[in-house]
Amino acid sequence: MDYERENEFIKDIKSVFKEVVCTVKRERRIEIELPSERLFEFATRMQKNWDYPHLSAISCVDWIKENQFELVYHFWSYNKKILVSAKIRIPREDEPHFESISSLWQPAKFFERDIHEMFGVVFDGNDDLEKFILTEWKGSPPMRKDFITRKYSIEFYGERKYNPEWMKELKKLGDSNDKN
Amino acid sequence: MGDLKKGKLTHRTVWEKIADKLRKRSLWMLHYCTGCGAVELPPTMTSRFDMERFGIVPYVTPRQADILLVTGYLSVKTLKRLILVYEQMQSPKWVIGFGSCTINGGMYWNSYATIKQLDNYLPVDLYIAGCMPRPEAIIRGFNRLIEDIDNGSAQNWKKYYLNYEFYKKNQEYVFGEVNTNLDIKSDIKRFKIK
Repeated sequence: MDYERENEFIKDIKSVFKEVVCTVKRERRIEIELPSERLFEFATRMQKNWDYPHLSAISCVDWIKENQFELVYHFWSYNKKILVSAKIRIPREDEPHFESISSLWQPAKFFERDIHEMFGVVFDGNDDLEKFILTEWKGSPPMRKDFITRKYSIEFYGERKYNPEWMKELKKLGDSNDKN
Repeated sequence: MGDLKKGKLTHRTVWEKIADKLRKRSLWMLHYCTGCGAVELPPTMTSRFDMERFGIVPYVTPRQADILLVTGYLSVKTLKRLILVYEQMQSPKWVIGFGSCTINGGMYWNSYATIKQLDNYLPVDLYIAGCMPRPEAIIRGFNRLIEDIDNGSAQNWKKYYLNYEFYKKNQEYVFGEVNTNLDIKSDIKRFKIK
């Protein structure tokens, strides 16, 4: 396959953002790696110039060995029908800050709120970073790689130890059933 | 779980025995579904397994319900609502833990958001093991509950009043302080719990 449409669009992107790395993953899917300070400009251009009205999702990946968070912005166009994933890297700290794109897309507020809860990334410019799903949460953000789920779950919710007496009880119950 | 003298709790007067005989055939189950276990309830309710032949009917308000069937995993957020619902129900009331999630966490043994032992937070009368329990198992569980009500051993709802501090401590440990407006003293007086 020669990915004609995809390569044409990449040419458009390259004419403005010269330093970015663009790859065609497969048909109708482009991946772009760009420096974090140019993301807002890129998103603005996607929305205003390149006919991308839809922000599908924002996701976050924790690269603990490289000490970085990766934010992935997925854009979708109804006319071009090409999904663009823009990837940026930010340093991995206790409270890393990054700019919000909620002024361009209102729904971005929810994605950013979710990432703030699960990874602890603070989005400047988003006025609503309250607790989202884990309303009673205390402790460090649970989706970080250095958060040990097993330890937390034992500490907060306990663990039921197996008791062989239960099996005897159940077996007795089963035997009485067989007689009936 | 406290040092309850079983003999005292299960002691019933004649009128209570008669009342239990009547109660056991008109149990209303609160139609509150947590987790995925609720998919086994439609076949249990409807014509194939037909739990209404035992007098068990799903009902929508906690005030009129007798059974609280906890169907599946409970996140901390849901547990908070469940406790509010439980405290609104009129005594005598019975809690059934349904599925392995309520017993030891089940497949959520490693989860950061779900509780693993329901009996730390609510007095459970009966557990139905399985993931998921089939409708036959649910029917058998209900039958067991009916037997227990009849012979007077299903008195765990009294434990909630007597060991309220234990339950409250565990509840507050996972989701912080909540004022549920439960008047323990007057309830103990009203239901004559000793």
